[in-house]
Amino acid sequence: MKKLLTMPRSLFTLPTTARRSGVALALLLAPALAWAQATPTPNRLDGSGPPTNNTARPANPSNHGETEVNILMSYYEQDGSHGAVEGGVGTQFLTDVTPTIILNIPLDSASRLSANLGMDHYASASTDRIDQVLSTPSSNDQRYHADFGYSRALKGKQTIIGVGAGFSAEYDYTSVNVSASWAHASADGNRELSLAGQVYFDQATLIRPTELRRDIQKNGDPDAGNNTRQSYNLNIVYSQVLSQRLQMAISTELVTQQGLLSTPFHRVYFRETGGALGQAQTEALPRARYKYPIGLRLTYYTTDLVQLRGFYRFYNDDFGITAHTFEIEAPVKVTPFFVLYPFYRYHTQTASKYFAPYLEHSITEKYYSSDYDLSAFSANKVGLGLRYSPVYGLARFKTPFKGRVAKFKSLDLRYAYYRQSTGLVAGLASIDLSFTMP
Amino acid sequence: MALLGLMTLATGGSLSSCVSVAAYQKMYLNDEDMKLANKRIETYETNFESYREGAGGANGGKVGGGCGCN
Repeated sequence: MKKLLTMPRSLFTLPTTARRSGVALALLLAPALAWAQATPTPNRLDGSGPPTNNTARPANPSNHGETEVNILMSYYEQDGSHGAVEGGVGTQFLTDVTPTIILNIPLDSASRLSANLGMDHYASASTDRIDQVLSTPSSNDQRYHADFGYSRALKGKQTIIGVGAGFSAEYDYTSVNVSASWAHASADGNRELSLAGQVYFDQATLIRPTELRRDIQKNGDPDAGNNTRQSYNLNIVYSQVLSQRLQMAISTELVTQQGLLSTPFHRVYFRETGGALGQAQTEALPRARYKYPIGLRLTYYTTDLVQLRGFYRFYNDDFGITAHTFEIEAPVKVTPFFVLYPFYRYHTQTASKYFAPYLEHSITEKYYSSDYDLSAFSANKVGLGLRYSPVYGLARFKTPFKGRVAKFKSLDLRYAYYRQSTGLVAGLASIDLSFTMP
Repeated sequence: MALLGLMTLATGGSLSSCVSVAAYQKMYLNDEDMKLANKRIETYETNFESYREGAGGANGGKVGGGCGCN
């Protein structure tokens, strides 16, 4: 990682031939590198990871030096009939409510602190089937997470470095992560390369289906209590202005995971033993996995009324999954401050070599899973968002912090409908309230 | 793989033909909707997709660690 962090700035100042060679080399190396997100958000989208603000773009004069506070909330609901807890034939009904607060605090003209705090409250009919008693304790849970980041622009402000750390906790799963990032923009702001690395240390309490617990205790399974997982992520993003109206970013993210990769309360039923109670085994998957996604993002300013945002991702891993994902979004500026943005996403993937449906695995196999997340399917997502961000904000109000006046800057609403060819359907409504405070 | 190759070729071609755009010419590129990243509000969608699909990553969402997901 340190070697990558010290990549010379000269990539952007080489002669044309050498620069093209460098770009070609970067493209060739892209799958072997991975994970820096040239995102203007303070953290990765899931809240973890280091801040990676992009210096190539000018600071927003409306909030320069101001503390930014975002309050986000979503409601998610899904239903299907391939729940992995019951061996690929049970309910998949689940709801999830996720309040989140994101803080972005400038410490001075060069450095920033960020924090991402939130929780998930989920209710799952599927996990309620871990035992044979439908009850409140196993039907819902909370996951809490907190992530913090620090970033600093180095001299000239073309380079930003950042570090971060965070944790999350739920009933049977805790996780700690640390991260570091580096981003460098060319002098003219037309190119940027960013790198980031992140390591997760996770610990899971092994909760198995009730009918299988007695056998495991009798046999003295060494994994009966707790188990761990480590994930090492490396991300690289190269962004490039192509014209006055078109720009692109190519990104890749190498991931290696070690440790517990199966879910101990997922049942698998075998064709030799049938589907009677007590005949299942818990899911078994290898203890290492390597993922190789590569993405291309394009944005095009078609007209003052409509812009186009596109994304394509190719994904491959050593579980045998190959996937293609396409996304398109067309923001329509109804007025300069009111934007409607319809979007569409298509995803298709092959099945993992360890997946088979209910009663189709053989007891002789070493690894087995009936989790339909690992099955072959296609999925469509369609939705609509709206953003209202008047130049002077929606409202102003006094805060308890020395009476300072905060501005309710913008409102973002979004709804997405998702359907898989497995029969799973889901809907998600989200809201983002953005505030600034001097 | 063919698609990946095509994408790489297309990107390479674009890079070799890109022009230098001065700061004062970036009024379109600096538009809020031209950002080369997901919107903050998309957080939850990228998260649930990473849970419900065997594939993930390279888009700023979860890709491994921190949850019992794939």
